[in-house]
Amino acid sequence: MSAATGLAGLRRYTPFAVGSLQTMLRYRSTFVVNAVTATTAVSLQVFLWRAVYNGDSGSGPGGFDRAGITTYVLLAQVLGLLHANRVDEEVSGEIQRGDIAVSLIRPVSYPLTRFCAGVPVSLVNVALVGGPVVLLYAGLLPLQRPGVGGVLLFTASSLLAMVIAFEVNLLVGLAGFATTNIWGIRIVKDCVVALLAGQVVPISLMPGPLAGAARLLPFAGLVDSPLRLLLGEYRGAGAAAGILAGQAAWTGAMTLLTALAWRRAVRRVEVLGG
Amino acid sequence: MSARGAAATAARYTRLTWYLSGVSLHRLTEYRMDFLIGAGGFLARVGCQLLVVAMVFQQVSVIGGWDYRQVLFLLGFSLLPRGLDRLFTDQMWILARRLVQSGDFYRYLIRPVNPLFTLLSERFLYPDAFGELATGIGITWYAADAMRLRLTPLQLVLAPLLVLCGAVILASIKTLFASLSFWTTNSFPALYAAGQLGDFAGYPLDLYQPSLRWLLTWVLPYAFTAYVPASYLVFGRTGLLPWLPVVTAALAALALTAWHRGVDRYEMTGS
Repeated sequence: MSAATGLAGLRRYTPFAVGSLQTMLRYRSTFVVNAVTATTAVSLQVFLWRAVYNGDSGSGPGGFDRAGITTYVLLAQVLGLLHANRVDEEVSGEIQRGDIAVSLIRPVSYPLTRFCAGVPVSLVNVALVGGPVVLLYAGLLPLQRPGVGGVLLFTASSLLAMVIAFEVNLLVGLAGFATTNIWGIRIVKDCVVALLAGQVVPISLMPGPLAGAARLLPFAGLVDSPLRLLLGEYRGAGAAAGILAGQAAWTGAMTLLTALAWRRAVRRVEVLGG
Repeated sequence: MSARGAAATAARYTRLTWYLSGVSLHRLTEYRMDFLIGAGGFLARVGCQLLVVAMVFQQVSVIGGWDYRQVLFLLGFSLLPRGLDRLFTDQMWILARRLVQSGDFYRYLIRPVNPLFTLLSERFLYPDAFGELATGIGITWYAADAMRLRLTPLQLVLAPLLVLCGAVILASIKTLFASLSFWTTNSFPALYAAGQLGDFAGYPLDLYQPSLRWLLTWVLPYAFTAYVPASYLVFGRTGLLPWLPVVTAALAALALTAWHRGVDRYEMTGS
């Protein structure tokens, strides 16, 4: 396939992204909900951890100081917004309603259309909800100022994190082929993934075995990796490259896994006519 | 209404609640998998919350004047009013999200029972609530045992009432925000956002900024559902306790007013 046909092929997916963006901007109350949820979560985390690091002038547990831990928990929630792409909800919904049949007869790849529809949701959430929350806290509390290199590494790492989050959510959505009560599974996913990603407690503060397990799993790539790169919690350029490589490897492995799961799911799909 | 009439009405609604709860339990046994996934999801959520608290207390021994067991007690206690409230008022979510918008709300107005009761009875004994209550009791019990909590007779008598008041407060907040849908057709985002703020209730209020503490005490009084009762039971603090019945009654009155005004305003779609 030449570059030109490749581009033309990709252009077929733009309507999905545009459509999802339009839906998102039409239902503006979602932003209010997301803003309150994010602000609540951030405040809880910030107050809780600042009480832990109370009076620590130098670096405390896990190598964080007060400004460092505040920056960590604040940005962890913003990354959480980046991962809230609603793919699990929408895929399982389509399966339950049987709408998936229509999606199957379109001459495009279903996982790719879902990805293209999920990206605007993530980015708009980060821009319209995450941005104000960060500004609010930057005005209220001292934060750690990252370097230019940290920001660049963080951006690259966050993009990989976005892909991993999409794949996790797609897999959860596909569980809709196996069970109709996807709601309970999503709740379990939400809290277990947030925990193992280091979104509620930094992995470096977890007890040894749990931290070891969390670092091995793909979820660490969602929050822990980007924030370690941003805050400079690594030794030397090699270690930074190692973090990115680990994330990239998991992105590749998860892509294969979702492709496989999708093929198996399609084979067992059954839609009642009507 | 005479005293006898009131007693008869109360007896009738008690009987109806009993009967309709039985109907709900039948539904539970019918959809066992849903129940298990719902309860399991809830357990996982509380489990994660407990892990977070445990990890926080690995770093320090006291936060905001509360130690590990006391925070566990508070967390467990906060689940009790929430579970009790969820047992009976889960249908409010459906009202906020759908019933006014779809026009289906009229169904509750044409039955010979109080519309609020009819509405709520549709989801009595919601399964997730059992998980919440059971975990809440388990955690509270464990924490009380671990810190060798000895309650005075007065505290023992008041404890169930404190849970009940907490449940009334939560139910009133839910009713208030769900009733907004009579004006806005869909008040789900508002209800959800108000519910999210309830997450603050599971931790000591001493951690928070004074303005946030004030908000959680006097505007959306989640403080009275867990923090105030737990500080009374654990530390014997009674500073805010006298306000508890006042806040409960005022909030319930406000919620019922909003509900009645909303129902009066409601117009059928005519289709």
